Amino acid sequence: MIDRLSLRTALIATLLSVAGCASGPGGGIYVPIGSEPAKAPEPPRTSTDSEESEAPVWRKSEQPEVAPETREPARSSSPSYRETGDGLSPAALSLVREADQLLAQGNISGAIARLERAQRIAPRSAEVYFKLSEAYVAGNKLGSAEQFTLKGLSLAGSDIRLQRAGWLLLADIRRARGNVAGADQAEERAAAL
Amino acid sequence: MFRLCAIGLVLLAGWMVYLDAVVTSRFEGRRFEVPSRVYARPLELFDGASVSAGALERELSLSGFRKGDGRKSGSYQRTGNRFVISTRGFSFPDGDEPSRRISLMISGDRVQGFSVIEGDNAPIVRLEPAQIGGIYPAHKEDRVLVQLDEVPALLPTTLMAVEDRNFYDHFGIAPLSIGRAMLANIQAGRIVQGGSTLTQQLVKNFFLTREQTLVRKANEALMSVLLELHYEKDDILETYLNEVYLGQAGTRSIHGFGLASQFYFGESLKDLDVHQIALLVGMVKGPSYYNPRRHPERATERRNLVISEMEQAGLIEPGRASRARGLPLGVSERPSYSENRYPAYIDLVRRHLARDYKEEDLRSEGLRIFTTLNPAIQYAAEYAVTYTLPRLGGGQNAEALEATLVVTAKDSGEVLALVGGRDPQFAGFNRALDANRPIGSLIKPFIYLSALQEPERYTLTTPVLDKSFTLEFDDGKRWQPKNYDGEERGEVPLHKALSRSYNLPAVRVGLDIGVDRVQETLTAFGVDTPISRYPSMLLGSVSMSPVTVAQIYQGLATSGFNTPLRTIREVTDAGGEALSRYSLEVEQVADPAAVHLVQYAMQETMQEGTGRSAYYTVPEELSLAGKTGTTDDGRDSWFAGFSGDLLAVAWVGRDDNGPTSLTGASGALPVWSRFMAQVPQHGFSPVVPDGVSYHWVNSEQQALTDEYCDNARLLPYIAGSEPTQTISCSGTLERRIRGWFEGLFQ
Repeated sequence: MIDRLSLRTALIATLLSVAGCASGPGGGIYVPIGSEPAKAPEPPRTSTDSEESEAPVWRKSEQPEVAPETREPARSSSPSYRETGDGLSPAALSLVREADQLLAQGNISGAIARLERAQRIAPRSAEVYFKLSEAYVAGNKLGSAEQFTLKGLSLAGSDIRLQRAGWLLLADIRRARGNVAGADQAEERAAAL
Repeated sequence: MFRLCAIGLVLLAGWMVYLDAVVTSRFEGRRFEVPSRVYARPLELFDGASVSAGALERELSLSGFRKGDGRKSGSYQRTGNRFVISTRGFSFPDGDEPSRRISLMISGDRVQGFSVIEGDNAPIVRLEPAQIGGIYPAHKEDRVLVQLDEVPALLPTTLMAVEDRNFYDHFGIAPLSIGRAMLANIQAGRIVQGGSTLTQQLVKNFFLTREQTLVRKANEALMSVLLELHYEKDDILETYLNEVYLGQAGTRSIHGFGLASQFYFGESLKDLDVHQIALLVGMVKGPSYYNPRRHPERATERRNLVISEMEQAGLIEPGRASRARGLPLGVSERPSYSENRYPAYIDLVRRHLARDYKEEDLRSEGLRIFTTLNPAIQYAAEYAVTYTLPRLGGGQNAEALEATLVVTAKDSGEVLALVGGRDPQFAGFNRALDANRPIGSLIKPFIYLSALQEPERYTLTTPVLDKSFTLEFDDGKRWQPKNYDGEERGEVPLHKALSRSYNLPAVRVGLDIGVDRVQETLTAFGVDTPISRYPSMLLGSVSMSPVTVAQIYQGLATSGFNTPLRTIREVTDAGGEALSRYSLEVEQVADPAAVHLVQYAMQETMQEGTGRSAYYTVPEELSLAGKTGTTDDGRDSWFAGFSGDLLAVAWVGRDDNGPTSLTGASGALPVWSRFMAQVPQHGFSPVVPDGVSYHWVNSEQQALTDEYCDNARLLPYIAGSEPTQTISCSGTLERRIRGWFEGLFQ
C-alpha cells in the first residue's frame, strides 16, 4: 500500500516540476496608493510601467471627493469567481524543492515547515496542499493527509491535471485508511475526468 | 573571656556554614531566570512579495536595523524605492538563515528585482524577526545570557582594568584596595571610592540588599571568599558579565552585557567596537548617572576615561584610543523594542501558551516564541480603529464607544493582528477575547449555508417569504420577529434576503431546516460553547467573542475548511531546540459547493447589500465578501468579511452594553473598510468548486434567461438544482443587439 502511495506522490512531483515554469500567483494585487496611515506618510510613488499594465491600480488622489451622504457608490461588477487556483511562484517553488530534499532525507517536520512557508506565500495553490498531503503520508498521518488533499482539490478548479492527481492521491490515502468505498468513489472521479 | 570567645567562634562557624550554603545553592542552582522572548513573524522577501516601501522601512526598524550604508550587518540603505539590506542572520527553529546582503525594489507595493549580492544565493530570504514582547520573571529582570568564550576579549580585560586589576590574583577580597578606599573616604568625609572586587560586586548584586552597613560589608567579604573557594575565576567572571545591572526600561531592568549591547546599540555583543565596550564598562559604576541617552556628556566623559585606562593598561594602541575618544557615543535612538507594544495580541499568545507551558517556565527558561503577528497588518489595524472611532456618531456617548479588530490570514488561520480596544496600547480588558456579545445577523450565512446544503430544497433563487409571523411557545410566550426597517416585501429570492440581511426570511428558513441544523453547522465551524436552542438564536441572540467569530468565518472564507486560529508557529528553548510546533491544520466541515453559494451572496452584500458603503473607502477593484451584524438598540455593531488574503472581524459597542445609534454598516463596517483599504492584498475570487456551474437567470422568476436580458444575473448552482424553465428576454432592443455582437466577436 505504501509503495503505491509513494508511486502516486511521485506523480505529483512530476506535476510540480511542470507547474514550476507555468505561472506566478494570478490576479491583480490591490495597492493602497496614497492611503498609507498618516502617522508615516509615504513619499510619492514612482511605479514602473510594466506594473501598471498588469495590475489595476487605484489612485485615491484621482477620485473625485464626494461626501459619503450624497452619493451611493455605483457598483456595476458582479460577484467574482474563477476557474482555477494560483500556480507556484519561483519563491514558493524553491521552498517546495527544499521540502522535497528534506523529505528524501526523512526529515518530515523540516519538510512540513518549508511547505507551510510555501503555503503562506502561495495560499491558493493546489500543489502546495498536495505536497503537504504527501509529507503527512510520509509521517503516516493519513487523516491530515486526506484533509490537505481535499483542500488542494477545492483549489484545482477546472485544471484536469490537478484534479486527476488529487483524486488519485485521495483514493490511495482513503484505501490506506481502510475506507474502500471512499477510495473507489475518488478513483471514479479521477476516471471520469 | 575564653568561653565568650569560644561561643563567638562557634557562632561565627555556624554563620559561615549558613553563608556557604546560601552561596553554593544559589550559584549551583539555576543562576539566572531568563525571560521568554516573543517574536513577530519574520518578513519574507522575494520577487512578488507584497509590502509597501513604508511598511518595509518600519519592519526593518522594528527588527533593529539601522539606516546606513547597507554594508554593515544590521543596516540598510534606501535610495528612492531601492533597498540594500545587510541581514544579520538568525537561527530559526527550522534552520539558520545566514547573514546576506540583498537588493530589491518596491514597485506597486510589491518586491521586484530581488537579488542576493553577498552570501548564499536564494530566491527567498527571511529577515530576522522583530521582538515584540517578553514574558518576564516576577522581579522583571531581563537579560540575554552570554558565555565567556563568545564575548569580545576586550570586554573582560577592560572590565578588570577599570574595576578590579588583580581579579585573577586575589581570593575574593583585596584588603589593600579596601584600605586605600577607606583612606580616601575618611579624607573626603563620605563614600567616594569603593574597594570592591568584581567578586564582591557580584555577591552584592546576587545575594544582598543595596544598603551600606558594616554587617552587610562583613557578610559580603565572607561570601566573596567562600565563592572564590568553591568556584573558578572564569565562572565568577562569566556570572558577573550576565548579572551586572546596566539600565532600566520602564519596569524592566537591563542586566548583563549581552542585553545591554542590544539595548544601547541595537547590536550583538560580539560586534561591538572599542568605544562601545568602553561605554558599557564605564556604565557599571552608575547606569542611571551615566545613562548615555539621558546624560550624553557625562557618559562621553566617563567613556573616554575608560578608553584612557584601556590605553594605559596596554589593551589598545594609543592611536586607536584617540580615534575611539573622537567617536560619538553611537547609541541607538531608543530601545530596539518597547515593552508591551501589542498587549492584546500578547495576551492571546499567552493564553495559547498556557495550554502547553507552565507560567514559571515561561518566565524563567528563556524560551523563544515565534508568533504569527504581522507588524504591518497590526499597524494598519490599530490605525483603522484609532482613526475611525472618533469619527463615528454613535449618539451622545460617543466617547464611550469601544472597538476591536481581529485579522487573520484567510487560508492559514494565522492571527496577524489584534486590537483589543480604542487605545491599542492599553493592556486592560481584552475585548477581542473576552467581550462575549450577541452576534446578530452574523449568524445568517450559517442559516443559509445549512439550507443550501440541501440543493433539492434550496438554491440562491429559491423564493423565501419576507412576511411577519408569530411563534407561540409551550409556556404561552409569544415571539414576533421583525425586519430592521419594519417593512415586509413578500417573496424575495434567497440571495437577496441574505445580502440585504432581511430578518423574517432568515428566521423562516432557519425554522424550516431546523434550529438543530444551524446549531450543528456553527459547532462544525468552531463554536465550542453551548448554543441556545431558542428560535431567537436565528437572529443572533447567541453570544461570541470577536476571535470566535473570526474562527467560524474562516470556514466560510475558505470554502468550508475549518482552519484553527493560531498565534504561535513554534516554541524553542534558549538553545534553539524546538519544543513545540503548531502546524497548519485544515478540516472540511461543509460542502464546498454550498459554501460557494453563500460566498456569492456575501459578495453581493458588499456590492448591492448592507455592506456596500465599504466602497466609499475601498476601491472597487478590491472584491470583498462580508456580513453586517447589529443587535437591539445598536448595542453591538459587527462586521465580518474577507478578501482573497485576509479575514477581518470588527466590533463596535460600549463596555456597559449601552445603546448606540450605530448599525453594523455605520459602526463596524467603517473600521473594517478603513483597515482593508490600507493593506496591499488580492481580491476575493473563489475557485468554482466541483459540481457548481454558473447560469444566467432571472432571479425573481427563477428561470434561465439570456445574458443580455436586463434583469439577468449570473448565479452559481449546485449541479442539478439550476432552474429548468427558460423565459424569453424582456430586455431592450439595444441591449439585445449588443449581446448579439458580443457573441459574434468573442
